[in-house]
Amino acid sequence: MRKFAIALAGLALLAWPAGPARALTVDEIVNKANLASYYAGDDGVARARMVITDQQGRTRERVFTILRKDVEDGGRQYYYVYFHKPGDVRKMVFMVHKNMDRDDDRWLYLPALDLVKRIAASDKRTSFVGSHFFYEDVSGRSIGEDTHELKEETAEHYVLENVPKDPSTVEFASYTLWIDKKTFLPVKAEYVDGRGKVYRRMTVEKIEDVDGFPTVTRARMEDLNTGGYTVMTFEKIRYNQGLSDKIFTERYLRKPPRKYIRR
Amino acid sequence: MRRSLVALTLAALWLPSAARAADLPFHGFVEAAAGARVVNDDTTDDDFLLEEARFQVDILADTDAATLQFRADFLHDGVEEDSLVDVREANVALTPLDSLDLKVGRQVLTWGTGDLIFLNDLFPKDWQSFFIGRDDEYLKKPSDAVRGTWFGDWLTVDVAWMPVFEADGYISGERISYWNPLADRRFGPDDPAIDPDEPAKSWGNGTLAARLSGSVGQWETELYGFRGHWGQPKGFDPDRGTAYFPRLEAWGASVRGSALGGVANAEFSWYRSLDDLDGDDPTVPNSQVRALAGFGHELARDQTLAVQAYLERTLDYPDAGFTDQNRWWLTARYTGLFLQQNLTLSLFGFYSPTEDDAYLRPVASYKVSDEVLVTVGGNVFLGAHDDTFFGQFSDNTNVYGRVRYSF
Repeated sequence: MRKFAIALAGLALLAWPAGPARALTVDEIVNKANLASYYAGDDGVARARMVITDQQGRTRERVFTILRKDVEDGGRQYYYVYFHKPGDVRKMVFMVHKNMDRDDDRWLYLPALDLVKRIAASDKRTSFVGSHFFYEDVSGRSIGEDTHELKEETAEHYVLENVPKDPSTVEFASYTLWIDKKTFLPVKAEYVDGRGKVYRRMTVEKIEDVDGFPTVTRARMEDLNTGGYTVMTFEKIRYNQGLSDKIFTERYLRKPPRKYIRR
Repeated sequence: MRRSLVALTLAALWLPSAARAADLPFHGFVEAAAGARVVNDDTTDDDFLLEEARFQVDILADTDAATLQFRADFLHDGVEEDSLVDVREANVALTPLDSLDLKVGRQVLTWGTGDLIFLNDLFPKDWQSFFIGRDDEYLKKPSDAVRGTWFGDWLTVDVAWMPVFEADGYISGERISYWNPLADRRFGPDDPAIDPDEPAKSWGNGTLAARLSGSVGQWETELYGFRGHWGQPKGFDPDRGTAYFPRLEAWGASVRGSALGGVANAEFSWYRSLDDLDGDDPTVPNSQVRALAGFGHELARDQTLAVQAYLERTLDYPDAGFTDQNRWWLTARYTGLFLQQNLTLSLFGFYSPTEDDAYLRPVASYKVSDEVLVTVGGNVFLGAHDDTFFGQFSDNTNVYGRVRYSF
């Protein structure tokens, strides 16, 4: 369906090659970027690998399978994260029901205890599994939480400045996004603190076409204050697998869907 | 004995390179642990409560039809001066129907909403492991069970059947000394251990536990039923002079969900002491109602605080027992993650205002690398009286350390 829509858009461009394209509004850019980054397809499965490097150059590794399903485009989503590495978290499952109107629901399954834990933490700007990526970087920051301004438009990018509506909930004063005009994927983000200094930077290092969806397959998040950084790569990406809603329930915390998790 | 610990520690240091090189077809860990009393205990000269090395093997095999799980600890226990195998899991999981999951074999079973307080979770626990500094994982004892779970559109039904009774790892004096109110003195490692009669291995003595669960709005709700035995030898047969495990039936309910920017839970259970339903037999515990309410929330980034209030009310009071009719417990758990989440500091505290009883459980663990985890902690018993739950263990306050290599 989406492919069809893209094809149709291509045809439309062919049909009116000379006509000046109507400039997109800021909201349209933000919406498209949000959908391109976090809502590709109706669902998706991927194997993610994070290599975390601290300020002393020591590295740690996380490997997990991530399953996502969109309840509605741009709205509610389910995430299911099954850990393969390191050994001490192997077989643990982290599950999120991302909500729009209230805090997300988060669960952690500890297999050795057969324990389904409800996670009380609601702050999305905390490290995801000890990496330099935050929860919000993995599952998306709600677009309604910032005001957006188009600062610059280059041949390749829309450059957006984003200011939080409620600064008390975040650690940044603002952040700038470079959004690729072709794919609408943000390819760079820089977070600025209260003194105007860039202290955190995300850089997309590789974009690949997967089943017709431009997909970030390698991204780097740097903490410029400490010099630590994390490189996250995705492989075995598949879209539109017809994931059932049921996967995102307690049943599959206890019984991981092997079909998607096997190496 | 000490030498074996050293050898295993050395093995633990060698294993990583071997494991990586060979890319072993299984996972697991090697762990060395030691812990000792830091207060004087008159019942024994031995200070060490924990001195062991364990090697856990974890094998998972799956096909389209079934998943096989085997996980076992091979350990040398320096306190017992014994080597043993502790099979934690050995089971087959099947999905014979779209809406039915079956797990057959040795498995760990857990449900309920309490944090270290168990109402409807009457599956076996190992309290001794819990109090001497083993990993939290060992608080749960595995059960040999058949668990079936049926998933309807609105309702999930779990039934677990354990044909043979499995007692808790209760405090029997062999390691941790305790107060015996009948003898009015402390019993410890140098005294004869409690040797209770276990229920006969007959069909009628199996344990059956069931749960119905479903969502009501944003709330996870559950109903529970249980029929089996008390996990601890709370009954006493005066004719034979032995302790035993009286029969128990329990009915309960729980609810859990997001509220007020955190997670709230409440749980209730009615324990029917089947061998003393009228509450007139002083050698068998009376029936009880138990209620719990809890709330956890984030204090600051990567720091959470969770509190619980718990009431245990004895029915048909006065009982000949030695406790108050209403026993109140308040608990608080602080957990903080630091140093890019590699350092975890946690403190769990129990306090009973009705019994002047308290227990603290501080733990610090640091991930030296993806493989190596170092944990130090303590079990601090602060009860004002000898005859309260934690007060009876007051001569066992201990500190411990563990090093674990996971692969």
